[in-house]
Amino acid sequence: MLHNIKGNYITSVKDHVRQYNEKSFRKLASNNFKSWPNPREETWRLSRLGVLSRKEITPIIPDYKKNFSSFSKFNGSKIIRFVDGALREDLSSNLPPGLSLNILGEEDSLRCFHKFKDSNLKDHPSTNVSFSCTPSIVKLTIEKDVKIRDFFEIIYEGGDDNLSVHPALHIELKDNSSITIIERFNHLSSLIMPLQLVELKKNASMNSLKIFNDSQQSYNLSANCTFLSEKSNYNSFSLIKGGLFTRSETHAYLKGKNCNLNLNGVYLSSKNQHHDLTTAIYHDVPKCTSKQIVRGVLGGESTGVFQGKVRVAPDAQKTDGQQMSRAILLSENATANAKPELEIYADDVICAHGATVGEIDDEQLFYIKSRGVSEKKAKLILITAFLKDIINDTVEESIQNFVFEEAEQALSEIISKEI
Amino acid sequence: MSLLEIKNAKLNLDDKNILKDLSFSVNRGEVHAIMGPNGSGKSTLSYMLAGRDGYELESGDIYLDGQSLSEMEADERARSGLFLAFQYPVELPGVGGMSFLREAVNSRRKFLGEDELDHLAFVKEARKVASKMSVKDDMLKRAVNVGFSGGEKKRFEILQMAMLKPKVSILDETDSGLDVDALKIVSDGVNAQRNDDNAIVVITHYQRLLDYIVPDFVHILSDGRIIKSGGPELALEVEKNGYAGLINAA
Repeated sequence: MLHNIKGNYITSVKDHVRQYNEKSFRKLASNNFKSWPNPREETWRLSRLGVLSRKEITPIIPDYKKNFSSFSKFNGSKIIRFVDGALREDLSSNLPPGLSLNILGEEDSLRCFHKFKDSNLKDHPSTNVSFSCTPSIVKLTIEKDVKIRDFFEIIYEGGDDNLSVHPALHIELKDNSSITIIERFNHLSSLIMPLQLVELKKNASMNSLKIFNDSQQSYNLSANCTFLSEKSNYNSFSLIKGGLFTRSETHAYLKGKNCNLNLNGVYLSSKNQHHDLTTAIYHDVPKCTSKQIVRGVLGGESTGVFQGKVRVAPDAQKTDGQQMSRAILLSENATANAKPELEIYADDVICAHGATVGEIDDEQLFYIKSRGVSEKKAKLILITAFLKDIINDTVEESIQNFVFEEAEQALSEIISKEI
Repeated sequence: MSLLEIKNAKLNLDDKNILKDLSFSVNRGEVHAIMGPNGSGKSTLSYMLAGRDGYELESGDIYLDGQSLSEMEADERARSGLFLAFQYPVELPGVGGMSFLREAVNSRRKFLGEDELDHLAFVKEARKVASKMSVKDDMLKRAVNVGFSGGEKKRFEILQMAMLKPKVSILDETDSGLDVDALKIVSDGVNAQRNDDNAIVVITHYQRLLDYIVPDFVHILSDGRIIKSGGPELALEVEKNGYAGLINAA
């Protein structure tokens, strides 16, 4: 099955993994992509993958001559480009001092692998299969004290019918470094299984924006594993609008005191799209804060899922964990699911969560209409405000307009059919 | 012809008869006060006039400048020149005050066949009107009614009234939640808009507001109908003797 995968480290990982004799790992890949998580598994109950087992999927062989189609959205930004899951240095920018991009060797690849295997992402299908099928694990390192002010774009594209794509990226921010990274997923019809390991060292700070905009026939099962050290700061926002099925799953481990985590996101779903934002936050040490704000707008027969787990370990006193999800349904046939889970084992913490699913607020609609504004326009004003509100509150100021414009395109698609 | 005419209005909410054969009319240049105890139907009356869903008339009709409103949605009524100042103005997180006002004003202008105002022209006009109403620029930049004090919310309502230049304004308990100073500012704002072509209907519990916005006529609403009409002296009578005597006499 995997004989056609390039790169020698993969064979080594495979051999290494044999010693584990774990039944989950490589089950998928070695079983011709037929063993997807059972819907009885709690974390996959609301997002079922059974349909994939009826497809004939083969890992893509990256075409290093393939050209790219997505252009940068920012003037003067640095670009890193993955095509068919493989890094294309020839299509990427030269990096400024203090930043480096490497293809990991066997030892570092294994280290990366173990980070996932030791996390609760160990049974995620992308963990199972992408460590076997990725062309290589790419590492982006931001050196100590380096603060990158330019925008960084990572563009993932390529793919094709019945093929799977396996980009794997390890981002490490060393002490006191900072960066803003904008990732855009723009694949053609395919199964996309991205892996990402983020390590924030002491006092490091990262703004992450992910835009999931793969083609309408695609499946994207993104798995992100993030580790935060003391006083580090991770501010992440996911905008999910593309794909037939997109699930962005992030597990964040707060390992150092006084670190701060934001895992926010918006999903905009129409037709028969299925969008899923799943997060797990592990407060392992005292005095950290985490915040999640998630909003969704759904039309057609689409489904939205938010699953947010916050675990506060017995030692993690003075934790502040907040979680809020809201979804607006514009169609009778759309569905939104919200599943907050709090597991709190410490006694001196502030943790709050809330979830609402509903239609546009009647009072607000009447108020705007009573000023002479048509119902259609009033709804548009309210939905736009619903998104602007979260974007303004959670996204770094310099990229707020960009995020809003990206959201607006998908929103007009939904609204044109519903109101 | 009356500017606003309510003819034999009947309205049920949850199978309960709330407005029972309610009639009154308001001419150009007049200010009418509707007073009544709790539960008399005052808020129902204001929602019914503004066209809120669920507040449709069972029978009877309402006319604005000769045109029947009963088949019109809330937005059409507003564009035709009816304005409701809310008792509890609704918060709109994420909707900027200035863009909200502009959307409203341009909807009305379009209806009247006037050119829509561009951003700059609008901002200039809005600032001019706002400064007269003691509405700070900062309030127009914020989201509509979000984090506004009671006084700010009511001032913003009257600012909208001033910008929209309606034919008929319904002020629903505009005095509620206001201290004396705020009451005076809001009343001055309303009085500045009184002219011979428009009309104002003030709905209130108390006589206090009517010291500042002096009505030409006062109607007492009880159990869904007008039980007595008169001049400003009727409000003073209510203040002195309460509603009970009037209701018993009716």
